[in-house]
Amino acid sequence: MDYAIERRAPRTQSQGVEPGYAHTAQRWPAQPLARRPHTAAELSGPAGLSRRLAPARGDLAGYGDKRAIGQLILVRARVVDEDGAPVPGAVVEVWHCNAAGKYIHPNDSNDAPADPNFYGAARVTAGDGGLVQLRTIKPGAYPVPDSGGWWRPPHIHFSVWGRVWLSRLVTQMFFQDEPLNEHDAILNAIREPEARSRCIARLAPTSTGPADALVYDYQLVVRGRRAAPAMP
Amino acid sequence: MTRLVPTGEMTLGPFFPREFAQGANDLTSVDGKPAPGERIEITGRVTQADGRALDNVVLEIWQAGADGRYDNPDFFGWGRAATDAGGIYLFKTVRPQGAQGRRAHVNFLVLYSGLMRQLQTVMFFEESDDPVLSSVEKSRRHLLVAKKAGPHAYRFDIRLRGDGETPFFDD
Repeated sequence: MDYAIERRAPRTQSQGVEPGYAHTAQRWPAQPLARRPHTAAELSGPAGLSRRLAPARGDLAGYGDKRAIGQLILVRARVVDEDGAPVPGAVVEVWHCNAAGKYIHPNDSNDAPADPNFYGAARVTAGDGGLVQLRTIKPGAYPVPDSGGWWRPPHIHFSVWGRVWLSRLVTQMFFQDEPLNEHDAILNAIREPEARSRCIARLAPTSTGPADALVYDYQLVVRGRRAAPAMP
Repeated sequence: MTRLVPTGEMTLGPFFPREFAQGANDLTSVDGKPAPGERIEITGRVTQADGRALDNVVLEIWQAGADGRYDNPDFFGWGRAATDAGGIYLFKTVRPQGAQGRRAHVNFLVLYSGLMRQLQTVMFFEESDDPVLSSVEKSRRHLLVAKKAGPHAYRFDIRLRGDGETPFFDD
């Protein structure tokens, strides 16, 4: 099989146990991870994922008197492979908290108000250029309970399917020039500065986008090179 | 051509939307049509180092169908489940067949708050000479073999860390 998933440089990926994040020491394996040969099972993937995961919302901001509170933003995220080739049809899940730092989730104990016009979860499919556009509001920062003063900077969660099983990517997108980025245990678990910097979305010139929204450009690089193999 | 570096993985966090975690754990039909093969249930408990069962762990699977293929139009081999408050997950699926040098198996991916990257593991139905199972040290291979829990039911517990830690793979 000539399709291959190559190993990644460890410093471009999050470390498993992170001193500033107590749960990691309970949850990351103590034993070394095994290396395995890659076969059709790892180098194939669920084409047509929408048969099991239906699209859900593409716009989290709303309009008029149903508009969510907060700074309106448009995130233009491109899903590409390691060759830079777009991955059209990639399914992308997105979730984030509201402008006050509150998630629509029963486990969020943060004492911040919900926004009746904001429901922070979307599932969309990348278009021809691998492009996903998300119209939403900029999420707020929030404190992590019992963490000794750790605040999460504004961030958007992404869950992405690439071409094969091993291309699966779950990550978070950060915003340029946020002071909390410097101290975040999750962003800084990526040790290589360049790799970390690529997890931060850039503000596009305000002359280029819609008049009422700030535009952030972002790139999601999923594992794998060249076109997908034919399935066995 | 310059090679781009894959985006750094980060934790799923504690607030993965419930609506995304639910509703995709039944692989026994596609577009309302029943999939061919022996219907089975796979269930298990996910625990952390101190033995505590974990709530709302997201598990995704990818498997071949009863004919060993990954592109069978009558079977879609991807599913997702989340654990309940007791740490228990459930998949309804069909028993895969081994093919192309592999024994029957189900690929598992684990996503959770406090897991900085996805964890990959594999469930087997029996100890065998499968090349992926053989890449795990011999004394731990039994941890990847599901226990029979009924005529068509299998139990596959996942221990993230500690005694009886599940073997995981780094790709």
